[in-house]
Amino acid sequence: MARYIARRLLWVAVLLFLVSLVTFVIFYVFPTADPAQLRAGRHASPAQVEQIRHRMGLDKPLLVQFGNYLRDIFTKGDFGYSYVNEQPVKELILARVPATISVAVGASILWLFFGVLVGVISAVRRRSKLDRTAMGLALVGISAPEYWLGLVALYLFADDIGLIPLFGSANSYVPITSDPFQWFNSLILPWSVLAISFAAFYSRLLRGNLLEVMGEDYIRTARAKGLTERRVVLKHGLRSALTPIVTVFGMDLGLLLGGAVLIEVVFNIPGVGRQAYDAILRADLPMIQGTVLLGAFFIIFANLVVDIVYAFLDPRVRYE
Amino acid sequence: MNKVKRYLAPALVVCMAAVVTGCGSSGSSGGGSNLVAKTQDTTGKKGGVIKMLWSSDVDYIDPGAAYYQLSYMIDYATQRPLYSWSPDEEKTPTPDLAEGQPVITNGGATITVKIKPGIKFSPPVNREVVADDVKYAIERGFNPSVANGYAGAYMGSIKGVEELTSGKAKDISGITTPDSHTIVFSLKQPSGLPKGVTGYATAAVVGALALPLSAPVPRDYVTKNGFDSGLTSKYGTHQVATGPYMIKNDAQGNTVGYKPTQSIELVRNPNWDAATDYRKAYADGYQIDEGNDNPSVAAPQILDGQSLIGGDVGPPVATLQSLLKKKSPQLVLAPSGGIRYIALNTTFKPLNNLNVRKAIIAGFDRALVRKLIGGPVSGEIATHFIPPGIPGFDEAGGNAGPGDDFLANPSGNIELAKSYMKKAGYPTGLYTGNETLTIVGTSGGKAQKTAEVTQNQLQKLGFKTKLQLVTQDSMYTQFCNAPKKQPAVCPNVGWLKDFNDAQTLLVPTFNGNNIVPANNSNWPQLNVPAINDAMAKAQVETDPAKAASQWAAIDKQITAQAPAVPWVWDNSPNIASANIKGVVNKFNSSWDLSFTSIK
Repeated sequence: MARYIARRLLWVAVLLFLVSLVTFVIFYVFPTADPAQLRAGRHASPAQVEQIRHRMGLDKPLLVQFGNYLRDIFTKGDFGYSYVNEQPVKELILARVPATISVAVGASILWLFFGVLVGVISAVRRRSKLDRTAMGLALVGISAPEYWLGLVALYLFADDIGLIPLFGSANSYVPITSDPFQWFNSLILPWSVLAISFAAFYSRLLRGNLLEVMGEDYIRTARAKGLTERRVVLKHGLRSALTPIVTVFGMDLGLLLGGAVLIEVVFNIPGVGRQAYDAILRADLPMIQGTVLLGAFFIIFANLVVDIVYAFLDPRVRYE
Repeated sequence: MNKVKRYLAPALVVCMAAVVTGCGSSGSSGGGSNLVAKTQDTTGKKGGVIKMLWSSDVDYIDPGAAYYQLSYMIDYATQRPLYSWSPDEEKTPTPDLAEGQPVITNGGATITVKIKPGIKFSPPVNREVVADDVKYAIERGFNPSVANGYAGAYMGSIKGVEELTSGKAKDISGITTPDSHTIVFSLKQPSGLPKGVTGYATAAVVGALALPLSAPVPRDYVTKNGFDSGLTSKYGTHQVATGPYMIKNDAQGNTVGYKPTQSIELVRNPNWDAATDYRKAYADGYQIDEGNDNPSVAAPQILDGQSLIGGDVGPPVATLQSLLKKKSPQLVLAPSGGIRYIALNTTFKPLNNLNVRKAIIAGFDRALVRKLIGGPVSGEIATHFIPPGIPGFDEAGGNAGPGDDFLANPSGNIELAKSYMKKAGYPTGLYTGNETLTIVGTSGGKAQKTAEVTQNQLQKLGFKTKLQLVTQDSMYTQFCNAPKKQPAVCPNVGWLKDFNDAQTLLVPTFNGNNIVPANNSNWPQLNVPAINDAMAKAQVETDPAKAASQWAAIDKQITAQAPAVPWVWDNSPNIASANIKGVVNKFNSSWDLSFTSIK
């Protein structure tokens, strides 16, 4: 197992290098804005633009630029300066990571809890009114766009513009270190909106898996041994049915840690997703690189964790 | 939104963003009763912190680099340039750090300004401002680590600028400080004056003295800490203030109140002396929250909330009608001093034919395009290129325009358009050539719709078109600003004044001498020697009245060349909570933080 993890960690570095390279190439291959012109301003002469291009290091050959970028990351932990904010990318991103983690982790706890709960109940009570209602609602949850759901939640429950003012509104996010209660209150709506979409999907997925597993021979054996139905479902059925859920969960959590763009925009949460979106619009390559690398890191790392958890969930899985 | 913004024009991006998402009305004129009053009540009650919602961030927090409407809101509340604009002033800037109006001698070659004694920098500098601080502020604008966006354009004729920028000198020899409270600017004649014309670009320099670049920067503090050395100046995040407010800082001078793209906190400047300033500074401070991209959420938060005002957040079109009925006093529209137009590349066949261009304008439904951004409330339909409020506007024909028939009907006149096409050599009145007109527009939102409408309008006259949509910054820097790659039509361009002088609108955009291979803003690539010469003469005119009439004549000449479809002179929408007594600064067409108060 240790060797496997070491090998995977090495791959993390290789993948991050490739992601960085691809991002760099995309930035220069597709029509994008010229950062030097943007910085120089509308009155700048071509000579002044070139002077700024030189200062930004954009007049160097592309390979040199990319090489310098990688060198600075590895030797100084320096991800460069944002073209737009003129501040270190690392500082700007790190300032936003807590908000993104708050959104992603809180929402994932909610959706995992409700997704699994509803999925198990629906599977156990297959074709009951409860099952049909739950799966119908899940379909709505999956179909409703997050952006729209977010706005509806704000218009209904936000404490400033909502019809029934209950929870923190858009723009109310504060770091947990400043005011834990306000932090919690401000995230109830974003967590709920994210959780609705994901929980709906998870419950349908788990229901299908569990129904399939409950037809397996070993489940029949467990029942024949006289185990209670609760124990059969939760210990033997659910453990096996959860394996695909873990895979999807790892991917989803990784993606969200890289930034929940829509939710961050609707609720004006200063997270990394929104930062990445703004950077793309403003041709801010160092910031694009930084946020893409962070997102890629979370996804790759989440996958690694998933693979390890697999081994614990399914005794048949062993890594050499 | 973008946010956004910055390249196009400091304020225009924001104005556009706000207007695009903002306005719409059944009114016939641009704004009606919601237009900012000629004279506003600037009294107010002291106290309280006002919260502002912004969609985007400042372009640069450093006043020496700032070039954006939102940045100016902050700068004019925290900094004291030599001159600035009191809320209702539209013609002559008010002396701010300066003791009085500039003294112009030697036929415009010398500008002398006395500065007020007793004005102090905020902590941690805490010393009195001297003339050398203004000299340094302007010099650093030319420093590549600051790279001010307008210094070269308006202060480039000060003696010694070239020597500084080429590295031959360490300061600008044409800016001298004979004593600690006097600063003198010596100008050289601008290059490229037509034969027989002499003079100095005095108006440009004087105009720029009312921009944030002339706000003092303590040379000793910056030099000691090395803020301006290195690739990028760090003064912005260590700045000190002279105005009534300052960005909250710690004992070391770090501006802890500024979190890029998140928030800005303004607090009172303890060293500000009200007796030396025309500003009132009623509020105790401002908390600015950024990232409020969705006007459907942010606008109700402001309008139904308490002690909130909008920065670049305007009301959404869908709710504007009810807003005008129910909460009309909470919306104030201010003419932005900007214009939007659809640039026609005059070097591109068949647009190199004047009659073809006139035909396109004649047939263009400009009212339809304006409807996309909200209709009449978003501004008057433009009939020429000097916007309202700028000297020369009335002389150029005011709202009615100079009287060109192809601009007479805002909804377009297809018969007139066809008659111009016939004059251009197309007997059917429709284009029958082989050229395809490439249109490069901005993707998304109302800008994209504008581009699509442009395509439809061109197709009405038989033109074959190809529409390409990219991001706004890409549209400018990769296409419309690059003459070699420039498309036939740029439908999403516009320009905003730098200060209240027509030259800031017409010279960069229609002077043929300003067509450059990169960063070009003469999008139609109009190059008419008579117009170029007339501009050179007007730029050295020191009599404001004469200058206004000269610029008006130039405006008429440009309009007659039909280089673009002018379609709106923007209004900026400003919204506030019911308990706010808002005062608009007409120069910046946004709330004036030094006069706005809580009722």
